[in-house]
Amino acid sequence: MASSKKTLRQVLWLMAMSWPLAQQAQPCTATLCGTVTADETGMPIPYAEVIVEELNLGVITDEEGKFHFHQLCDGVYNLVCRHIGCAHVARSVTVVGNTTVDFTLHHEAIPLQAITVTERATAPASMRAGAQLSGSRLDGVRGQAFGAALRQLPGVSVLQTGNNIVKPVVRGLHSSRLLILNGGVRLESQQWGTDHAPEIDPYAAEEIQVEYGAGSLRYGGDAIAGVMLVRPPALPTSGGWEGSWQSSVHGNGGIVSGGGHLAGKLSGPLPLAARIQGSFRRGGNIRTPDYWLENTGVREGSYAATVGMQRRKWQAELHFSQFLSDIGVFRGAHIGNLTDLQDALRRGRPLQDGDFSYGLSRPMQRVAHYLLKAAGSIETGEHSRLRLQYARQFNRRQEFDAHRRFGARPAGFSQPDMLFELTTHNLEAVWEHTQRYFLTGSTGVQATWQANTTDRGGLIPDHRSGAWGVFWVERWRKYPFPVEAELGLRYDSRSMDIARRGDTEIGRRLQFHNFSANTGLAYHVSDWWKIRLHAGTAWRPPAINELYSEGVHHGTASYETGNPGLSAEQSLSFGLVTDFRLGERISGNLSLYQNQLRNFIYLRPQEAPILTIRGAFPAFSYEQADVRMRGMEWKTVWQVYPPLSIATAGALVRAWNRDLRDWLVFMPADRIQQDVRWSPARRSPGHTTEPYVQVSVETVFRQRRVPAAQDYADPPGGYTLLHLEAGASASWRSKPLEAGIRIRNLTNSSYRDYLNRLRYFSDEAGRDLSVWCRIRFRREANE
Amino acid sequence: MPAFTLSNNNINNNTKHMKKLIQHAMAAMLLLITILFFPSCDKEDTTPDNDQELITTVRITVSDGVAEPVSAQVQDLDGIGGNPPTIQELALQPNTGYTFSIAFLDEQNASAPVDITEEVAEESAEHLVCYLVNGNISEPVRTDQDSDGQPLGLEGTFQTGDTGTGTLTVILKHLPDKSGAEPCTTGETDVEVSFPVVIQ
Repeated sequence: MASSKKTLRQVLWLMAMSWPLAQQAQPCTATLCGTVTADETGMPIPYAEVIVEELNLGVITDEEGKFHFHQLCDGVYNLVCRHIGCAHVARSVTVVGNTTVDFTLHHEAIPLQAITVTERATAPASMRAGAQLSGSRLDGVRGQAFGAALRQLPGVSVLQTGNNIVKPVVRGLHSSRLLILNGGVRLESQQWGTDHAPEIDPYAAEEIQVEYGAGSLRYGGDAIAGVMLVRPPALPTSGGWEGSWQSSVHGNGGIVSGGGHLAGKLSGPLPLAARIQGSFRRGGNIRTPDYWLENTGVREGSYAATVGMQRRKWQAELHFSQFLSDIGVFRGAHIGNLTDLQDALRRGRPLQDGDFSYGLSRPMQRVAHYLLKAAGSIETGEHSRLRLQYARQFNRRQEFDAHRRFGARPAGFSQPDMLFELTTHNLEAVWEHTQRYFLTGSTGVQATWQANTTDRGGLIPDHRSGAWGVFWVERWRKYPFPVEAELGLRYDSRSMDIARRGDTEIGRRLQFHNFSANTGLAYHVSDWWKIRLHAGTAWRPPAINELYSEGVHHGTASYETGNPGLSAEQSLSFGLVTDFRLGERISGNLSLYQNQLRNFIYLRPQEAPILTIRGAFPAFSYEQADVRMRGMEWKTVWQVYPPLSIATAGALVRAWNRDLRDWLVFMPADRIQQDVRWSPARRSPGHTTEPYVQVSVETVFRQRRVPAAQDYADPPGGYTLLHLEAGASASWRSKPLEAGIRIRNLTNSSYRDYLNRLRYFSDEAGRDLSVWCRIRFRREANE
Repeated sequence: MPAFTLSNNNINNNTKHMKKLIQHAMAAMLLLITILFFPSCDKEDTTPDNDQELITTVRITVSDGVAEPVSAQVQDLDGIGGNPPTIQELALQPNTGYTFSIAFLDEQNASAPVDITEEVAEESAEHLVCYLVNGNISEPVRTDQDSDGQPLGLEGTFQTGDTGTGTLTVILKHLPDKSGAEPCTTGETDVEVSFPVVIQ
């Protein structure tokens, strides 16, 4: 608690210090804005830094190369504009009222850094709606499970099995419909289950970007829900070494976590760069307002090592990472049959009040994920590059049942009841180019081989699959012409060999192939308004569980049967995004979409239950239907009064089964979040956390659009939660130190969420106070 | 990094040398990482391992103390899913008092059936057999006790009424809360089978 007090004191101190500054700035109303463009091409430069020297005030240009300063006093200022790989430009500017100043930067021949510029330039702003998480918004949530960290993004909801098994859901879709790219490698694991969380360590990510809807042709033709890009920090490009350590402690569950990295680059003739990173997380039983949830702890560890070299024309990198986790599953949710579930629903709460413990027992999941990646790129011309990448992933999932089988059972975790092992090899070659006839684009080929073995439990048969795809995406922009356009095409072919389930031979070969396409238009109406239109198709072959799963899901007491006759699922989606700025104080975006899904694969309840010696189980089977999904997300920020801002964000999804003329089950309920933020000081370069205090009100409505008689219990009622957070940065022995405090569910209210599978058995977690801090250090090379 | 601070005149020579060295070092590292850390799992010959015991058969044997004992069983040899269980009918006399016993068996391997009743009896404190009746049968009374002196239910008595039909449901609970008011609504169900009953 000492550290939380200290943090609070720092925040208060900083607030007090910055108050006079904010006061003094009041009568100044001038605005300074402009665009940063490249000298050679006239293209805007995003992520360039513009600094007002007198005020020690810096901003970063947006994706259009634009920057804004508000609330300036009239006067003469020295402005510096800089960008990696470019010569700095300094200029004296007289600001009177609203002033515009444009910068033109000239690329210097600094080859090592020019590579970074290319990387950014080939990923222009998406035509589709999206969101990203980085900086202090990511720092504050690294102590949670990866999926839980994403909950704050509009359009992303989570499908939970307790606190530690959290699956991200994008616009109502998840699992094999959502691609997750971890450091450029498509995450391959046993994604079929709703209780299988992605194997990603939040400490390893510097930025998480989500693009909603079909159209990520660069990454795959099957991203019906969208794509999630998890970006680890790049290898250092300048000599010396640097590192960081971040830790966080959560009061609820006693979760202690930490992660750090050390990176460096040799100076001199050998530009070898390396980075090692590691993290851990340890948590115990979670507490709801009224009782503890037994066996809800977690043990997680991960590490990664990267070695790379950048030369003038080529770059190569070797990366290895390992992610290990043991996740306890709430004991009270592991049930024998439907009668047990009904008994639990009648009780409305767990039988025992439980107690705090770090111990883990059955039921438990143990997951290990390994990744080995070798990547390289070589310059093929002034503005083009060829990238090659090979990745091998291995994922082992062990599930330890509490369910009783008779006979000697080892006390520990040596013999799982289910064991799946998945080995994946990916190979890709992508050629990227920029600035040719105003076109930026890439074309490439990707291939995947995969083998799954099920060593225990007959839920999924052993199978192998092979897939390859070719794609080509181009984007046209003739700056300053206000319209830009995008077009992409992709062809994919996939085959699956299903060998056997247990001792039963299946011996079936399935083949799927199809095209997908993507097109978009962006219209820059003015500096204050931009409209993006998008249409895309995607298709997805049925996943192995949808074809061949067979067995009981404990926890929901249902018997699931695959359907070997399924065909591929196809999606046609349209999106409209508008980004706007009303005056200086209001900015935001609104996106609307429609997604038509043909042959959408879903679980449909069957009339007759499966009768077993353990009692009756409701039966579900995979079927296909035409489905229409519509929805919207929005976010607006209103700068009420300089340090004070109010943000509103929300998301709605409507999913309609057109064949059955009924709603789709398990769709996220409507949600709205309001943040009131007090951020008195200005951004200082090098510190990502500006001091701030924020109160959030999160409202989730009751899901009323549910199909008739498909669930064991009615959707839980809506809820409103109050969250509080604060953060600040300071210097400690001349090293930047960032810290924050968060309180989730401040009022300790009892509630249940429709998308948490534990809602049949228990309430959600109660109040959680967490603190985090991070320190970074850096040592320049001794020349 | 003193090892790499080189003087200008031998830089070119050294760069060449270094390049080679780096190439070798990287290749060696790749090999090392692959060998040391990467678990290999492309194996084809995985034999599924489901050797844990499973209750395939529940047998009830009833006796009125006069005639030969009568028994009926519910059997599901291939476990959950696959073929549905086969269920036998229990034929009883009207207005008769019966004693009964329950047996749980693993008959996956027909030549060597395993009697799981013994394991239930050994861990008697962790188990409870519950009953649900429908028709002209009285609520069964458990006549045996577990190691803590609490009811167990592998044996008991019931009384039939007039002729008719009904069902007798046998439920085996694991880790029930025996001290609670309704122990049969707690714990995890290992077995739940219904015997059709004919009283004639």
